[in-house]
Amino acid sequence: MSSLGYAAVLVFGVFISSISQVILKKAADKKYTSVIREYLNARVIIAYSIFVLATFMSIYAYKGLPLSFGPILEATGYIFITIWGLLFFNEKLNAKKALALLLIIGGIVIFSI
Amino acid sequence: MSKTKHTWKILLLLHLLLGVYSLSGVFSKKAAGEAFLSLRFCLFYGGIIFLLGIYAIFWQQIIKRMPLTTAYANKAVTVVWGLLWGIVIFHEGITIKKTIGALIVMAGIVIYSIESAKEEEKKAAASIDEKASEKEATEDE
Repeated sequence: MSSLGYAAVLVFGVFISSISQVILKKAADKKYTSVIREYLNARVIIAYSIFVLATFMSIYAYKGLPLSFGPILEATGYIFITIWGLLFFNEKLNAKKALALLLIIGGIVIFSI
Repeated sequence: MSKTKHTWKILLLLHLLLGVYSLSGVFSKKAAGEAFLSLRFCLFYGGIIFLLGIYAIFWQQIIKRMPLTTAYANKAVTVVWGLLWGIVIFHEGITIKKTIGALIVMAGIVIYSIESAKEEEKKAAASIDEKASEKEATEDE
């Protein structure tokens, strides 16, 4: 696999772990009948399973990527979180946040080429 | 005076925590060099989960004691840790282009963090106001 392929695996891992964060946040907003149910319910279990899968994906990605790429590519998480915020949590994208996301994307490109 | 000192201590603890957290990347890279589910792989994987657990616990404690903005924005430093561990442990190279790219990504993270922490604090303040007015309303009844 090419470096780009490994980078795609890492970014996909960041993407699915952002989904697991959304599921956890939705789970935390719900009311539960007991403390056990608060932790042992379908949403929380699915979220943590996705999270474990994401850790395996980043390990796989490091087979073909230098360590220094990790935190750089993980910054894509801010893009995904922004999208989920707009779609599911009624958040808004202001100019400063949009600028920040453009800087992150630009920085990743400069770092990678 | 003593308050400033205290703030510095918390900031130092935050950076210590972020440094420890960055080691989970080192363990991931180490695990990548081992056969899947071999003993060494499992040890490194255990290390990753342990470090993430430690991070989650202490992060909660630290954000109680410092402004969210500061805590979030300082997370950008993990980019530096990635570069540093890459050079020191895995003998990765560093170029001018990589340095510039990393600085731009960090600037993006800092700006984003400041904005989203501001929003979260606003939301938290609004929900406290809401609860207070709800309480007043029930007391009036």
